[in-house]
Amino acid sequence: MKPLQQLTTEAYRQKRRLVSPLMGFPGLSLTHSTIKLAQQNVDEHFKVLKALAERFHPDLIFPLMDLSVEANALGRYTVFPCRESATVPKDDFNIEDLELLRNINIAFDTRLRGVVETVRLMSKKLPADIMKGAYVTGPYSLAALIMGAEDAAMAAVMDTDKLNKLCNFAKEKIQQYIRLLVDAGAEAVCLLEPTAVMLSPEDFEQYSAAFIREICNEYKNSDIAIIYHTCGNTMHLVEKMAGSGVDAVSLDSPEAGVDLPGVADIISSDVVIIGNINPTGTILSGTSDMVREEVSSLLRSMDSYPNFVLSTGCDLPEDVPLENIAAFMQTGREYRIS
Amino acid sequence: MEKEELLQKILHCVENGKVNNAAPYPPNMKGKDGADEWTKKALEEGIGPDEILSEALIKAMDVVGKKFSEKKIFVPQMLISAKAMNAAMEHLKPYFQSGAVKKKGLFIIGTVAGDLHDIGKNLVGMIVEGAGWEVLDLGVDVNSRKFLDAIGSHKDAVVGLSALLTTTMANMKTIAQDIKQQYPEVPLIIGGAPVNENFKTEIGADGYAPDPQGAVSYLNSLIA
Repeated sequence: MKPLQQLTTEAYRQKRRLVSPLMGFPGLSLTHSTIKLAQQNVDEHFKVLKALAERFHPDLIFPLMDLSVEANALGRYTVFPCRESATVPKDDFNIEDLELLRNINIAFDTRLRGVVETVRLMSKKLPADIMKGAYVTGPYSLAALIMGAEDAAMAAVMDTDKLNKLCNFAKEKIQQYIRLLVDAGAEAVCLLEPTAVMLSPEDFEQYSAAFIREICNEYKNSDIAIIYHTCGNTMHLVEKMAGSGVDAVSLDSPEAGVDLPGVADIISSDVVIIGNINPTGTILSGTSDMVREEVSSLLRSMDSYPNFVLSTGCDLPEDVPLENIAAFMQTGREYRIS
Repeated sequence: MEKEELLQKILHCVENGKVNNAAPYPPNMKGKDGADEWTKKALEEGIGPDEILSEALIKAMDVVGKKFSEKKIFVPQMLISAKAMNAAMEHLKPYFQSGAVKKKGLFIIGTVAGDLHDIGKNLVGMIVEGAGWEVLDLGVDVNSRKFLDAIGSHKDAVVGLSALLTTTMANMKTIAQDIKQQYPEVPLIIGGAPVNENFKTEIGADGYAPDPQGAVSYLNSLIA
């Protein structure tokens, strides 16, 4: 059993839960920084995460979510707004370009190395009882960033060979990135596949889960936890996600359509379920009382499932009130399984 | 070929995403004519463009929208149906422009400032167009000024705001408030992964659609 499963099971034995909201951006207010600055500066980035760790002490912490790192390292045009995460706009792509992209060594990219170095600082300097995670863009989402989301969706049925080739290429680059992150001290790697939610279960298996399975195989006999995160309503995909060999699935909120106890009933109990308080409707827009109420209700609904970590359905936006995160953490910490 | 049969052919092609003869999708219709060829033929046979629109295209996209809402088909299949519909629409455009066929109204849509995601917005635009509305797509990263200018030129339009990023919800709120301040009578609908019915109320919008079919239902309710 890997540490993530061990800790989750141990907490359940003690009638409590691990608590880990997907937060990064709210820490910017603690250090008076901006997304752009933190995503381009290792020390600034680490300062944000250190401040969050000191303030909330979650059981698992991740760097700022940034879905543009890998595509940017592969030379795709990227924009860097000051107060929003970097984005990769649609750009021209021909499958013939793949051979050129293949020659790019992402390990030499400054911004990607910056994330790796941030993880190294997290590993060295954050408390040992906080598990250090890292985000990596999933193979289909990276393919969609490279060729454009609409073209990637169309290719799933119109040009399957091309899409398969690109997803396989994305997987190889992702594997290289994960090795760098693990060497730097990442104990959990969360593969972000937001774009894959638009696929049918069969296409999801072909263009995402099959490649994630290959990634998992590399870490099967290690302590590294592989987490699969897909945004939106994934009820039709969750069996494919859990069946890909990952150690955990991270799922979106009930408002997006995800029923966590329903998920726990259909997937293997060996797979940890991470989720799923609404990051916007509840934590951004709600009151602290609303946060407490919804966290308690979710925890109660998961009482009979040992394989659960309390978290948010997706990454928290920058402007969430810090008192709502505090309410989330406190309710999660104080809760006892009946 | 009988009129009904021709309309059924167009409907079948749009529902199944058969764009034209050269399109390889769906595999079981490879080498057969698609929405492009059948619409051309229907017009040549004297079928009215308004009938093609109402009896084939709108009906087909209604079925497609329902299948999508019921998770029987997914975004790729819906996109391909929309492409087939667009192929048919190309033949009908001259009739819309001449005024021979009336649209249900004008729908102005855009992804809000700070957000560059367009797939959801495009899908909604295509399905709404297939439902008989004229669509004015302002693109992505659209600020209040651009929305207000478009509304200023089309005061009877309905406006749709799209967002994918949670970080751009604040921009959606600002734009909605700017629109409502200047044009309180303009119906405003929102959609996108991070928004919901509560957020609609919070920002003063009039409608929220969880999917393209929801947008069509809302728009049609305005002219019912």
